[in-house]
Amino acid sequence: MLRGVDRAAFAVAFAARLRRAGLPAGLSETGDLIRALDAGPPDSRTTLYWTARVTLARRHADLAVFDRVFAAVFDDTPPLPLTRPAAPPNRRDDTVHVPVPAGGDDTIDGGGLPWATLPPPVAADDTGADSGLAVPDLRPSELAALAERPFEELDETQTAALGAMLAEALTRWPRRRTRKHAVDPRGRRVSLRATIARARRTGWEAVDVVRERPVRRPRRVVLLCDLSASMSAQAAACLQLMRAFARVADAEAFGFATTLTRLTPALRHVSATEAVAQASAAVGDRFGGTRIAANLGAVLDSHHGNALRGGVVIIASDGWDSAPPEAMTAVMRRLRRRAYTVIWLNPRAGTPGFAPRVAAMAAALPFCDLLLPAATFQDLLDLAGHLRDLSSRGSRGRVVPSS
Amino acid sequence: MKDPADVAGRLDAVDYLVDDGLAMALFLALRLGKPLLLEGEPGVGKTAAAKALARALDTPFIRLQCYEGLTAGEALYEWNYQRQLLHIRLAEARGATVGDADLFTADFLQERPILRAVRHDGPTPPVLLIDEIDRADDEFEALLFEFLGEAAITVPELGTFAATRPPVVVLTSNRSRDLHDALRRRCLYHWIEFPAPDRAAAIVRRAVPGAGEPLIQDVTVFIGKVRRLDLDKAPGLAETIDWVSALAALGATTLAHEDVLRTIGTIAKTPDDRILVAEAVHRETRP
Repeated sequence: MLRGVDRAAFAVAFAARLRRAGLPAGLSETGDLIRALDAGPPDSRTTLYWTARVTLARRHADLAVFDRVFAAVFDDTPPLPLTRPAAPPNRRDDTVHVPVPAGGDDTIDGGGLPWATLPPPVAADDTGADSGLAVPDLRPSELAALAERPFEELDETQTAALGAMLAEALTRWPRRRTRKHAVDPRGRRVSLRATIARARRTGWEAVDVVRERPVRRPRRVVLLCDLSASMSAQAAACLQLMRAFARVADAEAFGFATTLTRLTPALRHVSATEAVAQASAAVGDRFGGTRIAANLGAVLDSHHGNALRGGVVIIASDGWDSAPPEAMTAVMRRLRRRAYTVIWLNPRAGTPGFAPRVAAMAAALPFCDLLLPAATFQDLLDLAGHLRDLSSRGSRGRVVPSS
Repeated sequence: MKDPADVAGRLDAVDYLVDDGLAMALFLALRLGKPLLLEGEPGVGKTAAAKALARALDTPFIRLQCYEGLTAGEALYEWNYQRQLLHIRLAEARGATVGDADLFTADFLQERPILRAVRHDGPTPPVLLIDEIDRADDEFEALLFEFLGEAAITVPELGTFAATRPPVVVLTSNRSRDLHDALRRRCLYHWIEFPAPDRAAAIVRRAVPGAGEPLIQDVTVFIGKVRRLDLDKAPGLAETIDWVSALAALGATTLAHEDVLRTIGTIAKTPDDRILVAEAVHRETRP
């Protein structure tokens, strides 16, 4: 295969096509492919496939994209004969042309040119919440008043502004002791490396003993938000909450209704509007039914399940589950064993006379450290306060939810 | 090794079976001299691949197990501070003076796995396994960049050690943490799939020579079914091999054996899984 093909041109064109499909194949990956093709010229489609996959795709999530692009490029290509009658050496029209989409919607930004240009400055009509963030001159007291209002009464701009306020309120949450040590005069362990380095100043006489102690780091936060029909009023606020945690606390965020969607990459986006839009688009079955227990189980089983170990798990849901409560008990027991703290946010918990009568909610409650209301942004700000309390308390005593 | 088939053949000779993809990945890692990042479910043979490669190349195997809090002092090199202090005391007793040049020499340098791999001076480059890199802190990844990119390590007091023959580097990850793009960029990448039952049978056959053919067939087909159950931890290839070894040691020839239930702890690792797997065994063995 690929006889008489300019390997560099092939590799670059193929990598470009992968990049367009969303696989980040850069110059070093392309260089690897060229050298790999040189090291072992592919004699079959399979060999070519593995050569290209090992060198170009660098993460498991990219493999699907790679397979799709590889199939698109090579499925229609007739297999080249391995031995061929000697062709005139200067004839190059047997080159395999890697189809590169010309024109089309890919290159609209560049006006059809093969290089990238700045987007035309006419698109000034998008008045998203990002530009809107600066527009409403909300004084802190007005924001505080907005925070008291239920989610459904807030418009997009207000939600975004409150989301930013929430991110600022997230300053401290439970920490854990790591195995890493850092120099600290309050420490117990003698840091030999630092002590010897210090002794150099005193003629190698260790006058000052430098001590070190374990570094404490914030615990990992994992958020699981119910985005089903019964939570539609809270969905926007939930996304803001997840975004605040994803950006400040480096949290893992999942949204679920009937199926589970990992939202962390989408929510880390710099622009709040863009992040929330991407996250909403990512949840395909938004506002469908709910399968809480099944989705919690899916998180535990996936490779992200390890992120829960010793972490702070925050579940936002009203507890309406289509599965029997026994399933919820089983999955919450597993989750409880793995997590450091489990906090359940229920939008209805703030209403007077609330009692966890929903079967799944009642089943989950014995495994939760805290059940908190989540009907207004003030409730979410209170959550930040509760996390601060947890971090200063140190021990993991259970807190009875104040009714 | 001249082509991927040769790699597969040499690994076959040391009882490690590879498919086309892994053979290509290992071949390219050797030929291009780049580190290879292996990912896949736990127990699919990532660590075993590196060990087998070392055996096939007949070269030393150096392993660095990653864990949280791993520092340069445990992975690259460390100075022997106790010896340095003794040296200072001895010099004092002799009335001599001690300078930087006396204390920071190769005599006081303690090699850790990565520096050992770089300074190895045998006829063949060693295989260095950096196991479970996702368990180390993300700052640790940055420590590896110089080594992964240039196969060199800089000790500020002594200078840069560059490998005469770059070691073959295999990294494994269980994806408990997302690795940095800069690390991925420096490595070739291969995802090891869980093998189909017939390949799994071939692998188990090599790993447990004493087991009978019907038992291996039964077990691998059964494991394929169990993996589709809703388990906390699906059994991998390593667990399958353990189970067949256990059954073979107890003299079982098929799955219909009274010891099957008693050895179920080799594949089911939580109480819930135990129940589910035991039910599956009942369904399987009931005629």
